[in-house]
Amino acid sequence: MKISISSRKQVKSIALFLFLSLLFTVPAYSYPEDKGISAAELLRQVGIAATIVALVGLIVVEFFMKKKIARGPYKWLLFIGLFMLPVVTMLSSTTTLLDETTTVESCASCHIMEPFVDDMMNRESPTLAARHYKNKWIAKNQCYQCHTSYGIHGTAESKRDGFRHWLLYVTETWPEPITFKGSYPNANCLTCHVTTDKFQQVNSHQALEEKLKANKVSCATCHGPVHPGPDERGPSTRHPQVEEVAVEHQLLENPGAISSFVKGLNNGNSGLSEVVK
Amino acid sequence: MKEEQDEIPSGINRREFMRLATLGSGMVFLGGCGDIRELWQRQPVIKVDSWHQGFCRFCGTGCGLQIGITDNKVVDVKGHKYAHNKGRLCIKGIMNRDILYAGDRALYPKIRKNGEFVRASWEEAMSLVAQKFREAIDAHGPDSVAFYGSGQLFTEESYTASKLFKAGIRTNNVDGNPRLCMASPAFGYTGMFGLDEPMGCYEDIHHAQSLFITGSNTAECHPIVWEKILDNKRSRPETFITVVDPRRTRTAEEADLHLQILPGTDVALYNSMMYEVVRRGFVDQEMLEKYILIKEGDETRDFEAFKAHLDDYAPEKAAAICGVSAELIREAAWRFMDSSASMSIWTMGLNQQVQGTAANQGVMALHLLTGQIGRPGATCFSLTGQPNAGGGVRDTGALAHALPNGRKIKNPEDRREMEALWGVPEGTIQPKPGYDAVSMFKAMESGDLKCTLVMATNPGQSMPNTNRYREAMKKTFLVVADAFDPTETTKYADVVLPAAMWVEKGGMFSQSERLYHYVPKLVDPPGEARPDLAILTDLADRLGIGNILPSRTSEEVWEEWRKISAHSYYNFNGITYERLKKIPGLRWPCPTEDHPGTCRRYVPGEDPLSKGTGRLDFYGRPDGRAIVFIHKQQAPPEPPSEEYPFILTTGRVLEHWHTDTITGRLPETKKVPVDFVEIHPADARRLRLENDMQVRIRSTRGSAPFRVTVSRRVREGLIFTTFHSSRNLINDATIDAVDPVSKQPAFKYCAVSIEPVQA
Repeated sequence: MKISISSRKQVKSIALFLFLSLLFTVPAYSYPEDKGISAAELLRQVGIAATIVALVGLIVVEFFMKKKIARGPYKWLLFIGLFMLPVVTMLSSTTTLLDETTTVESCASCHIMEPFVDDMMNRESPTLAARHYKNKWIAKNQCYQCHTSYGIHGTAESKRDGFRHWLLYVTETWPEPITFKGSYPNANCLTCHVTTDKFQQVNSHQALEEKLKANKVSCATCHGPVHPGPDERGPSTRHPQVEEVAVEHQLLENPGAISSFVKGLNNGNSGLSEVVK
Repeated sequence: MKEEQDEIPSGINRREFMRLATLGSGMVFLGGCGDIRELWQRQPVIKVDSWHQGFCRFCGTGCGLQIGITDNKVVDVKGHKYAHNKGRLCIKGIMNRDILYAGDRALYPKIRKNGEFVRASWEEAMSLVAQKFREAIDAHGPDSVAFYGSGQLFTEESYTASKLFKAGIRTNNVDGNPRLCMASPAFGYTGMFGLDEPMGCYEDIHHAQSLFITGSNTAECHPIVWEKILDNKRSRPETFITVVDPRRTRTAEEADLHLQILPGTDVALYNSMMYEVVRRGFVDQEMLEKYILIKEGDETRDFEAFKAHLDDYAPEKAAAICGVSAELIREAAWRFMDSSASMSIWTMGLNQQVQGTAANQGVMALHLLTGQIGRPGATCFSLTGQPNAGGGVRDTGALAHALPNGRKIKNPEDRREMEALWGVPEGTIQPKPGYDAVSMFKAMESGDLKCTLVMATNPGQSMPNTNRYREAMKKTFLVVADAFDPTETTKYADVVLPAAMWVEKGGMFSQSERLYHYVPKLVDPPGEARPDLAILTDLADRLGIGNILPSRTSEEVWEEWRKISAHSYYNFNGITYERLKKIPGLRWPCPTEDHPGTCRRYVPGEDPLSKGTGRLDFYGRPDGRAIVFIHKQQAPPEPPSEEYPFILTTGRVLEHWHTDTITGRLPETKKVPVDFVEIHPADARRLRLENDMQVRIRSTRGSAPFRVTVSRRVREGLIFTTFHSSRNLINDATIDAVDPVSKQPAFKYCAVSIEPVQA
């Protein structure tokens, strides 16, 4: 009996030790890429596990074990399954949502963002976004990196913007052409650039120091355009306007179509309808 | 009441605590946002009531702006997204928001009485000006008065001044600072194509495969044009950039090939490049047969004679003149000719030398000879230094030798035509050209000029050999209209008139690519300042010749002017205020109000004025052929000597503009030093000079103090400084020799000595 008590204590302390050592490994997982999975990914998996455990546990407890266990443990199990585990799942899903919406794919999922994402990924584009992307100056989540400020306030701001964009998108109430609202926080640029010799040697930067710090002048004023201008945002390849592009191709491949197209133009109508037929 | 009194000592209960805590944290969160509207979207730092389309006050790039106004005040400026600059601005563009509120704005008229300035009313000042002008004209004839204008006036103002003096007062003494700036390209283009102004446009930069930048520090002097060049390079890294500059400028640093030639040896270099074109068989035969005529002076020459002339400039021979290797010259020539589209860009480096016109024509000849012309990306393109030297002064003919739209004073038919268009009697316009800039100041010196009206410029600092011409200014009755006072010119004035500037008045600017754009009046001028147009019409009325100027508002003048332009190849009849209030500019030729403007001139199908179906149509020339002139390299006007062993060349830095009348008064740009002189390490060592030591740069004409910057940007024997500062006034030393054709002074070359100053 004594032995068993001490062994139970031992089992308890070993379990505690194992649990703590597992807990301490979490930060290691917080760093993405080759070192393992990121904290967000870990939380996502924990969330999935919690959901499964809660569902399975609730079914087992309610339908198979209800009469076999005492009232106390039953209530506790229900409390865990209906309250504790859903909280973990909620935490996990919120984190996953916050994390997933930082990806370029997420930004590109709205059609309105396609010209910007297409331009960023265009190796021939001279825009600031495309150059940062092409030269891998930003490793991942390129949209989010420049559209969030540093610190928790920055995250809140970017989520506010994302939420507003989503609201305007689903209600189809966004104003065309879309523009960046307010003053861009230069700190986002300066965090990387301000310490470089190249930045500090530029007289204009020293002259405008106060205005740059106060965001009264945007870095992009001299170094832009960051994205294609309103008149350069061509129809996206993934847009419903793909049809129009197809018509253009048809015109290019069929000289007869071109002449009838031109005739159509001369007659005052677009002529496209005939060609498409 | 009793209950409440009971509760206070017992403290707050849990519910109240929770409520307060929630409220408190909510307020902390909102406080972090700063503005309740931040909860919905990010707010601008500068609050703006209304945004208006406008254009930059500074260089000839002509960047589009969005100007933010709050309470009748310019508070913010952004780049115009739809204009050619795509929303970009340099620091000077940004500073437009502050220029109206810089110190030393001229607020009320001043008259010099017993050597001292006293405040006067407009009535008093203008009647004195009119009286002095009338007295001079009556006693000494119309040629005793003159107008010295600026590429910073609106087109309407320069046109009105030119008309007032040439057709009203009847003197051709109308010139101005564009003579110091763009006279050589104006004569270069007119000589070869019969018409002034470049044929290409900014869009060509995006199509060019090879860029030949010569005599231009584009990165600092036209930063937004430079960004376009870099955009091309960023998109297509194989784009080749050649830079020719005696100084290793920021432009040269980014080039693929830099030819650091000796200043003033451009003609030899371009001749040598043409030699290479001929040697390698890259002469465009179609161009030679159909579109080119070779001339030496007025004499026509055949291609064999041209080849014989080029034989003197084989790369080995030119290398000895230019101070760069023959290999570099060959490589530069090869890169120019072996490209699907070559574009050349140049500015003051070519213009401000005694062979300025020849150097300009050398670059243009390279394009004609290789056929690198009239295609997207293949063009010769000069950049202007001022916001409206092209449209305001060159197009309106507000120069001593010129009449509107390319007409010439000395041509009787041109005079008759303008007299008919202006509705003045035949013979009104005098047949003798007036004084060009340097001659005008010499005429002040000799006493021939009794009265001079200077507008929107600062010749007391920008003229070469300033000491001499400051003395000259004292001898004339000098009227200076400027937005700022004091300047180095108002110091010598007899009457100072406060002028409105930029958006305190409305009018047209035209920049490097023949693009007219409209600057609206958005705010009221300070004090009693008036638009220059109002000053000119007032003067006309007081001289009793107000009838010569029936158009009194900017819009009326523009209506008159665009209709006159319709009678010429400089056709911008289709450009109206109404159109330009909506869009950021239109390029001429633009003959009708539904015409979208022209990118490339002389190209049938693209240029509405060109005829036929050929590859090109140089309609400015009677035979449709552009002229390639034979020019020989000449010796410099003032070679270095034992006493003055260094060559001095001057230029600009990005943050400052011209004589610093504006940028020298803004706290931001003032932080950027302009008092330095760049000296090669070998020269510094020989003279025992170190960084930040004070030296005096001296020529036979004068001297100015500077701070030494030992720099590898200059070659040995060459020193560089800026002409921005009035405290370090380098133009006291520069030479007033001029190009014999364009009369443009040779700021880029004179012999100087360096003297250490004992601290």
